[in-house]
This record gives sequence, C-alpha cells and structure tokens, in this order.
Amino acid sequence: MEFKLTEEQELIRKNMREFADKYVEPIAGEIDENSRHPAEVFKKLAEGDWMGIPIPTEYGGAGSDYLTHILAIEELSRSCASTGFTVSIHVGIACMLVLLNGTEEQKQQYLLPMAKGEKLGAFVLTEPGAGTDVMAATTTAVLDGDAYVINGTKTFTSNGPTGDVYMVFAWTDKAAGRKGMSCFIIPRGTAGMSAGTHFKKMGLRSSQTSEMVFKDCRVPKANLLGKEGAGLVMAMAGFDHGRVGIAAQCIGIIQAALDESIRYSKERVQFGNPIARNQAISWMIADMATELSAARFLTYHAAWLKDQKQAFSKEAAMAKLFASEAAMRHTIKAVQIHGGYGYCKGAKVERLIRDAKITEIYEGTSEAQRMVISGNVLR
Amino acid sequence: MPNIVACFKWVVDEAYIRKGASGALDFSAVDYKISDYDRNAIEEAARLKGLHGGSVTVLTAGVPEAAKGVKDALSRGADQAFFASDPSFSQLESSQTAAILGEIIRFLIPFDLIICGEGSSDQYAQQVGTRLAENLGIPCISYVQKLTIGEGGRILAERRVEEGVEVVEAPLPVLVTVLPEINTPRIPGVKDTLMASKKPVVAIKKEELLPVGAAPLQTLGMTATRMERNGEIFAATPEGIARFVEALQKRGIIS
Amino acid sequence: MPGIWIFAERKDLAQELLTIGRELALQTGVKVTAIVTDQDDQADIYIAGGADEVVLLSPLAEDMSLDAWLPVIAAETKGADPDIFLIAATARGKDFAARLAARLETGLCSNCIALSRGEDGTVVMERLAYGGAAVQQVSCATRPVMATIPPRTFAPAPAEHGRSGEVRKLLLPPTSPVRILDRKIKERSSQDITEAKVVICVGRGMEKQEDIDMARQLADLLGGEVGCTRPISEELHWLPDDLCIGLSGVQVKPDLYLGLGVSGQIQHATGIRGARVICAVNKDENAPIFQAADLGIVGDLYDVTPKLIEALKKIKPLSR
Repeated sequence: MEFKLTEEQELIRKNMREFADKYVEPIAGEIDENSRHPAEVFKKLAEGDWMGIPIPTEYGGAGSDYLTHILAIEELSRSCASTGFTVSIHVGIACMLVLLNGTEEQKQQYLLPMAKGEKLGAFVLTEPGAGTDVMAATTTAVLDGDAYVINGTKTFTSNGPTGDVYMVFAWTDKAAGRKGMSCFIIPRGTAGMSAGTHFKKMGLRSSQTSEMVFKDCRVPKANLLGKEGAGLVMAMAGFDHGRVGIAAQCIGIIQAALDESIRYSKERVQFGNPIARNQAISWMIADMATELSAARFLTYHAAWLKDQKQAFSKEAAMAKLFASEAAMRHTIKAVQIHGGYGYCKGAKVERLIRDAKITEIYEGTSEAQRMVISGNVLR
Repeated sequence: MPNIVACFKWVVDEAYIRKGASGALDFSAVDYKISDYDRNAIEEAARLKGLHGGSVTVLTAGVPEAAKGVKDALSRGADQAFFASDPSFSQLESSQTAAILGEIIRFLIPFDLIICGEGSSDQYAQQVGTRLAENLGIPCISYVQKLTIGEGGRILAERRVEEGVEVVEAPLPVLVTVLPEINTPRIPGVKDTLMASKKPVVAIKKEELLPVGAAPLQTLGMTATRMERNGEIFAATPEGIARFVEALQKRGIIS
Repeated sequence: MPGIWIFAERKDLAQELLTIGRELALQTGVKVTAIVTDQDDQADIYIAGGADEVVLLSPLAEDMSLDAWLPVIAAETKGADPDIFLIAATARGKDFAARLAARLETGLCSNCIALSRGEDGTVVMERLAYGGAAVQQVSCATRPVMATIPPRTFAPAPAEHGRSGEVRKLLLPPTSPVRILDRKIKERSSQDITEAKVVICVGRGMEKQEDIDMARQLADLLGGEVGCTRPISEELHWLPDDLCIGLSGVQVKPDLYLGLGVSGQIQHATGIRGARVICAVNKDENAPIFQAADLGIVGDLYDVTPKLIEALKKIKPLSR
C-alpha cells in the first residue's frame, strides 16, 4: 500500500492551489454575496485544462486520472465551494455520463467542448415531487417520428441558468419501472426547454440553481444517450463519480475551516492569552484536523479504486457521507471558535457553514447514502 | 530562432522553515520549490521563444530529488532539460554551481542566450549568473526588468540600478539575470504538467563531470536571525496609549 | 602583498567601506587602497578617511558599462595580491564583484553585514540567508577574501586630518561589448527615508491607500518620514519603491521606527535592525514584529493611530 501521490499529482495540486489563491479567493466573498457565476474564472479554468482532467485527450480532456481531478476539486473548494462544486458536477457527472455511455458522434459533439471547458454541463434529474424518490418523477419523453417529445418540470438543476449541455432524464416507458427511464443530451437553445430563475439559496450561492421546464421539447433520436430504459443505471453510476467529487468539495471546506480556525485562535487574545492555548479550543481544532484527515483518505481511496477500474459505489457513498457530515460539524465549530466575528459577513467561516449544509443533501442525502452503504454491507 | 537556456535552482521553500528551540533552524517540515526568480527566468525564455521561435532548454545542478523541479520547469514552456544530480550537490557554492553549469553548456548545449534569476531565494548570493558568464567568456547583463531580442543578433535590456534604469545593448551570445518584475510566471495547466514527463531529460552524473573544485567560501555556521528586543506590550486602551507615549518620552524619543 | 582594497562607485559608499577597511588594516598592520571613480581633487577626502593609496579610475565614456574596467582591475589585483577586497554592493558593484571573483578564482561573500577576525586571524563574514530568516557565517579559503557590503552597513569614516597617502590614476579601459544606450533617472520621493530620524512604516494592515494619511500625520507630528513594507510598494504601488524598507529595499537606522499594521516578516525586519527604538501597532499579538520591537501596542491600527495622534498632539504641537 503506497500512500504517495505521483510527482505530477503533487505539481498539479500545487498549481491548482496557486490558481485558486490568485483568481478565486479574492472574489469568493463577492460572488457569494451577489449570487454571481464568475464566467471569467471559468474561462481561465478552461485554459488550464481544469475542466476535463480525467477525460481522454481525444475528447478534449487532459487525459489524467480521477484522483488528480479530485485533488483539483479539493483545492478549488478550499477557496470557494461553489466553484469547486460547479467543476465537479460538470466533470464528474455530465462529462462522465457521455464518456461512459455516448456514441462516438455524441462524444465528439458534446463531450469534446465540455471537457475543453467551452461548454458547461448540467445534470437534470430531480423534480419538485421526486428527490430521493427518483421513481416518483413525472417528466416524459414520447417518441414521435424521428424525435422524442419531452414534457415536464425539473428542479434544483445546478448550472441550470448557465448550462450549455443538459443531461435530462425522462420516462420513455413508465410501466417498465426501473428500466423505463432514459437520458437525453439537450443543448442550450433547444426549443421547448427553458431555465427558471436562479433560486435564492442559503449557501453555495455562486452556483446557479434553477427549475428547468420542458414543454413539447423535441429532441432528435440521435441525442438519446445509451439505450432506452438505461437512464437510471447510468444515473446511479453517474452519482458514484459525483459523490467522490462532493467529498472532495467537503475536504476543501473543512481545510478552509481549519486554516481559518488556526489563524484566528492564535490571534484572538482573551484573558491575556491567545485562545488557542485553551484546551476547549485546541481540542476542537484537534478533532477538526483528525476528521479532515479521515475524510481525505476515504475520498482519495474511492478515487483510487475508480482509477483501478474497481467497484467503488460503497466507498464513494462512505466518503460523501462522512466528509459532508464532518464539513457541517466542523464549520459549526469554526464559527464557534470565531465567536461573534464568525457570525458576521466578511468572515470566511460565515460562508463556509452556509456552504457546508447542502453537501449533506444533494447528490444523495446522507440518508440515501446510508441506504446505499447498508444495502451494500448487508448483502 | 534563438536557442535559449534557462538555469534554475531547486530550493527549500523558506515559508516552511521554523525556528528550533536553541536558535537553530528547523527544516523538518520543509517543502521544496523552483527558486522564485528562476521561475521568472524560465518564463522569460518561454516568452521569447513564443515571439522568435527557437528552443528553450532548462538546466539545473542539484540533488536527485530535484527531478521534481525538472518536471516543474519542463511544464513551464521548456523543450528539454539537462539535469546534473548527485547527493553531494545539496550545498553547492556559487563558484561550484557556475563551474558545473558552464561545463555542461560548453560541451552539450548550443546557445544564444542564457537567462538566470538575479538571485536564489535561499542563499541570495546573486553570483551564479555572473560567474557563469565569466566562465563562458560572454557578457553579463544583470538586474534586468525588460528584455528584447533585437535585429542582427543583439539584445536590448533595461537594467534596474539605484539611480533608475539603464538601457543597455549587447551582441549575442549573452547571459542575463532577471528581476521578478520582468514577467508573471504562468500557472502551468494540467496538460503542461502531464506532458512534462514526455520531454527529454539528459541526466548527468557527477562522475561524468570534471571534479568539482573545493568551495572557496565555507559556511562556518547558520543560526536563526535574532531580532529579539522583546520589549513591553501596551494595551490599546487610553491608559495603555498614555503609558506608551510616556515610555517614548523616557527614552528621549520625544520631548 | 598584504593590503586591504576597497572599491565603490559612489563617494558616500567608499567612505563607508573605509571605516571597515581601516579597522581590518589596523589589525594586521597593512595598508588600505581605495579604488574610486572620482576626479583628482577628491582624493584627499579618501586619504583623510583612512586610505593609504587612492586609485582613480578615469571617467568612462557615456555608453560604457562598469564591467569595462574588469580586465584592468583584475590585472592590478593579481599583481598586488591584497588580502581582502571589499566592494560596495550597488547593482553594478555586485555584478562587478562576482565577475572579478570568478576571474581571480576566489570566493565572494555577497551582501556581507559584518566582518571580524577569528582567533587564528581568518576573516569571518556574516550575511543573511533564507530571506533573512538565518544568519550565515562564512570564511574564505582563497585570496583575496572578497565581500560586497550593502550601503549603510558601516558609518562613513570620520575625517582624520594630517593623514597622507599616494594617488595614482588608472588608464582608460578597453571597451566592453555591453553598451549603455540610455539612462532613465527615476524620480525620487521628496524625502530620503534613509536619513530620517523618525520613520513611520505602513504595512498590509492598511486597508486603503488613503489611510496612509494617518501615518503621514504621525510622521509630521514627530518630524519624520513615511516608509512601507514590500507589498505596499511592489504589489499595491501605493508608495514608490524607494520607500520600501527591507531585504530588497532600503535599510533605515532612525531613532524611532513605528510600524503600523506591519507584521514584521524577517525580510522587512532586517531593514530596521539598526533603529534605536522599534515600536509597533498590530492587532495580532503573535505578529513577529513584537519580538523585534522595544514597545508594542496590540490593537487595531484604525483605533490606536488616531488616539496616538491625539496623545502626541497634547505634548508636541503640530510642527510643519
């Protein structure tokens, strides 16, 4: 067992850190405050090949491995969880879906520009009445000549307002149950598909989230991804990749919380001493550092398994479950360490705690993760 | 189409140096990096190649672990690298470094222009570039903040001196040492880093070089800088400030 | 032939080198030779400052760079074989020294901040390393022992009247392939902080450029000048480069140094080590500046500075 990153991975991680310090950190507060998608940063990310790290070079990616992509998500998220998340969902779910299931034409037409960062991917599954209960969805895709006609409403679509390539899930045969949902690649501008306004969220505010409305939206047959009815299986595999990305996002959040807490507790003087000298505070920091390390290894291991082409569903769920709950736990502690200052706008931990909450909910709630893990372990 | 050589040093990242208890320095947690101004040197070489074509060769002499630095340098726009390594190269003195680099360049690397950082971030002796120029018998222009390759194989450089700026020119081949102001080093993209491993690296063993002469300058000791006056601290209250002002008066600073 | 040689391209720096040159020479009873770029009539100043021999370099052509003198000075040095050769660490001086050391195949201690003799008479030189975090002691096993000395490391040598010495001129050097086409003299700030008795230094704690005004008010009250740390001039360009104090900036030795929002990183602290009284205002109790300071106030500079100005106004009415 070797616990070492390759030289390339170390260099790439350092470069992502430098990028994040230079371009993301200075605007993280502003894009959170204004719920702004920083297009200028994503342009630079595209230039540096950061938007398709694990995608093969013939499809526009950097041709590296998933672990390297995870390292990048971690460093980006340390500066801004929204930015890290946007890249994660774009690569881990949208790009991977087409890479694993697309035809050669689909890969050239859609994966190539996505992996190059020229187009932004989105994953459109959740509906107002169907969150964890995916089967309760009502969006349908009916074959009419050479096109499918899609009707329905989706919600909580990340990159909804800003996306270019949408991976949309709809029933082609509701009667077939788990084998009745299909996935369609729908480019921006297709008639009948529109994004609602961006939701006002507690956290992850720079990430654009909205409803997607489909009204007689005609999609060519050629845009069916994989086989009819294979939608759910593809989505579940997509979640495995996405979850490791979310776990990486959480590691970034916890690392930021730890950095802030260490710095602040050494500066803040009460009763004549920096509060870092108080056991109550130093123990909080010890726990934070320990669980950060645990989350990190769970996450890297899950990514490593994927790179080894081994099954990694269980490990992905474990990493996501642990890292997200740890992120919530420790951002709460970080605010506590900062006291009143941590409660005010301008303090980084004020944003971290708001960003952390959603990680326990999206890409499978913690409850859903527990279902996946127990389902696996109790077989 | 100039052939440009950029020299770099793999150094301790001084941000990680801690102070030990007895005044010695604690290097246990250190990480390493390409010396800051050498990054500017490599970037300048890459920039000039972008304008004029030609080639960029990076060159370093150091310990075997510096291979990571070679990869880093190759990810910054270089075409190939020459790497002289040996465990005994961890504390090379300026004249030794210049001798090794000079020997490699003279025998193995055809060049028009050599670019070095104006000083390394660890020792900051600011000598290797100039000594290397002397070793190769070429002019040296140091402290350059702007560099242009002009017509007819001449170089135009702006040097920063105390009084301001000197604009100088010289015929190639020339060595220049650069200031950080000259450019902003790129952040290599993912592909840049991955492709670095595919670029040729000529590895040179100590035994293949002329014996490295004894270092004329010997280090007798290295201690943590002491700036310990450890004076009085006052609170930011009206009383504290009043006492601070009193203390200044007592020391005769103010009347 | 034993002797201490010094070379500086500026008169004030030559006078500083004479201080240490003379001290070293007296230790072993040898002569001091000063190589300078001056006219004949200035030679007396150097002799009064301690030179036993003054070597005048005739003026260079407008477009000639200093390294044109290298072959001549190298030949002179080889011929005379002095024990020690000190050169003022200006940009050109450092360059010249490194090239000369290479030609003479000897060692060079760059940016030497102290010289002394060990028990066996060898010269021990001190310099800073690791961005100022460490002090390195070195000795040189070859001849001549060479060092470049930063400006203001030594005080100018006091004039001793009645001293005598020899004066000679060096002939025009061969040309160098490097030609100077133009010189752009930079505008200096109105005051020279290296001469100021009081320096108020602003650091990263300053949130806006306009806030530097507070420092100016303090400086005016105390009869001093405003300086800054490197980020303020190099990155933010809120103040000109020649007001930057530190390893890559200027050294100051005022009676009073007061840092406002200065953390006291070692690269800056090395620029103020000669100050008589070092004071600091910083909201971080663990800022390194407090270890370097004689008097410190832990607090927000935006809160403390106005109060300090008020308190000082009561004692000193506003001068200037």
